[in-house]
Amino acid sequence: MKPSWWKSALASPAGRALLALLLVMAAGAVFNAQGAFFKIGTHRDALRQASVYGILACGMTLVIISGGIDLAVGSILALAAVCAAKMAIHWNWPAWEVVPGCLAVGMACGAVSGIVTASLRVQPFIATLAMMVFARGMAKYASGGMKVSTVVQNADGTYRYVEVPPLFRAIDHPILHGNLSMVTVIFLLCVAVAWVALSKHRWGRYLYAIGGNEEAARLSGVPVVGAKICAYVACGLFSAVAGLCQAAQEQQGDPEAGSGYELFAIAMVVIGGTSLMGGRGGIGLTLIGVLTIGYLDKILSINAVPEAGRLVLTGIIIVTAVLTQRRGRT
Amino acid sequence: MLVLLATASAVLLGGCGQSKEETKESPAARQYVIGMSQCNLGEPWRVQMNQDVKDAAAKHPELRVIFKDAQNDTLNQRSAVEEFISSKVDLLIISPKEAQPLTEPVARAVDAGIPVIVLDRALLGDKYTCFIGADNVKIGKAAGQWIVKKLGGKGNVVELEGLMTSIPGQDRHNGFREGIAGSGIDVIFQADMKWLEPNARTEMESALSRFDHIDLVYAHNDPGAHGAYLAAKAAGRDNIIFVGVDALPQEGVAYVQQGILDATFRYPTGGAEAIDTALKILKGESVPKKIVLGTRLFDKSNAASGGEPLP
Repeated sequence: MKPSWWKSALASPAGRALLALLLVMAAGAVFNAQGAFFKIGTHRDALRQASVYGILACGMTLVIISGGIDLAVGSILALAAVCAAKMAIHWNWPAWEVVPGCLAVGMACGAVSGIVTASLRVQPFIATLAMMVFARGMAKYASGGMKVSTVVQNADGTYRYVEVPPLFRAIDHPILHGNLSMVTVIFLLCVAVAWVALSKHRWGRYLYAIGGNEEAARLSGVPVVGAKICAYVACGLFSAVAGLCQAAQEQQGDPEAGSGYELFAIAMVVIGGTSLMGGRGGIGLTLIGVLTIGYLDKILSINAVPEAGRLVLTGIIIVTAVLTQRRGRT
Repeated sequence: MLVLLATASAVLLGGCGQSKEETKESPAARQYVIGMSQCNLGEPWRVQMNQDVKDAAAKHPELRVIFKDAQNDTLNQRSAVEEFISSKVDLLIISPKEAQPLTEPVARAVDAGIPVIVLDRALLGDKYTCFIGADNVKIGKAAGQWIVKKLGGKGNVVELEGLMTSIPGQDRHNGFREGIAGSGIDVIFQADMKWLEPNARTEMESALSRFDHIDLVYAHNDPGAHGAYLAAKAAGRDNIIFVGVDALPQEGVAYVQQGILDATFRYPTGGAEAIDTALKILKGESVPKKIVLGTRLFDKSNAASGGEPLP
């Protein structure tokens, strides 16, 4: 007998992820905080606040599919934010110099993580944990411990005010009659780039192979070390994009930014349905995971749920989502 | 591996060597070594506190301050205190992370003959020489009273709270509620933004989408108020008044001068007062057990001239 359409939909990871997202949206419609959930501004804001985490999740997906993990994304975000702020605000670099400069910083950190993991054969958890600490230290060092803001100290101790750089204004900017944030567009671009790399490019197939069975991949001629390093470099690149967006949205470079963001990124990837063991999953699933957690946060926020309740509910929902992902796997 | 070990040893020995030199000074050019234990340097306010201590000590060449950062770890801070005790500093300044776990280590310092100045967060009991701190309840109340006056006794206010499991967060909240008690001010939305600007922006966006009429935002710190301001600006809501707390010169006071905040209340770090008190203690003078620092209001009219002290 042919299975009913919803049973076959639930059999696929995308179907189950979408179900979780739909349930969250339904909860939002029910607990709509005096109609706030139905306003377009709420959705614009929910997408805006999820975008930085989402950009991190794009890079994290690549690394997780290859069988690794990257705990340093939050710290690289901070380092990139500090560098972007320093370049754009203090040194007055134009946008076409700030963006590559900032991305280069992220890619360099990713390269180090990748080399330590893939060539020196250190466990990814340990290698990226070390980078997490190191990059945070570099961020504090580069910023002098204070936020890099538009308030610049002169030599004599007084302060002068610098204009917010046009690059930052361009990034933190609502478009489409104020209904969509530019940061969301950047996030969707990152999703598109990561999707093309993962599903259309040979390197993407390498990552799946390595995550599925590294030894078999190596024996089949897959350049394991090179592909893995590229995954971490890509993750560092996405972290730097996220850092640039964060700096633009705060109009400053905060060396403390991104603390704990790595766990959010991992949660979004996992809830989407990508396996932490590697070899399985994709960017589309991560996108659904980002939206699920992003909207959950927003619904809790517009309903002014007290902090303790938010933490408990979010924890329960994450576990439930992962458990439903497990069921039905053949 | 060997290179790493060698580098690490060189750094450590270099650090140790310096403090050993100090104790060989002749009595005529007596150098005092002060140990400063800071609970974390993640908060700009604490970076400012260390800077204030450093600047005040720089005016007195006979003082040498060694700074230790506990990176927000209580056991780390306890070790820092124990290290200061064993290296026999002349005086200890500590800004504790929490009261309970650090009361005994500080008591041991006092027993070892080291005077202790406690900054900002109090310890339990009274085994220390002097406590210097500001009163967050008073600051919250001053903010509440300023808000009542500004809004003419009634209005819709959003409260963006600092970490409500921390004493400063609770104090700034309770003081504020005391300050607006009995007036027509209605707190229509409150959320815990944990002192962080991105969180404040997110919560403010929720408030904006839920309420069409918001008169004023009271945030427990200036970064929170700044995040709320950016959210309101992005949403095109221009008539909202923003009030913050902390008033760091390059942050809160600058925001007031730039027209981002309407008012901020200084939460003084006490760094300079700590050095003044330390000098008195080292000279053998007596000092009060508790010094409560006052707050200053910074608004558009007085920000450039250093604010207005509040009673």
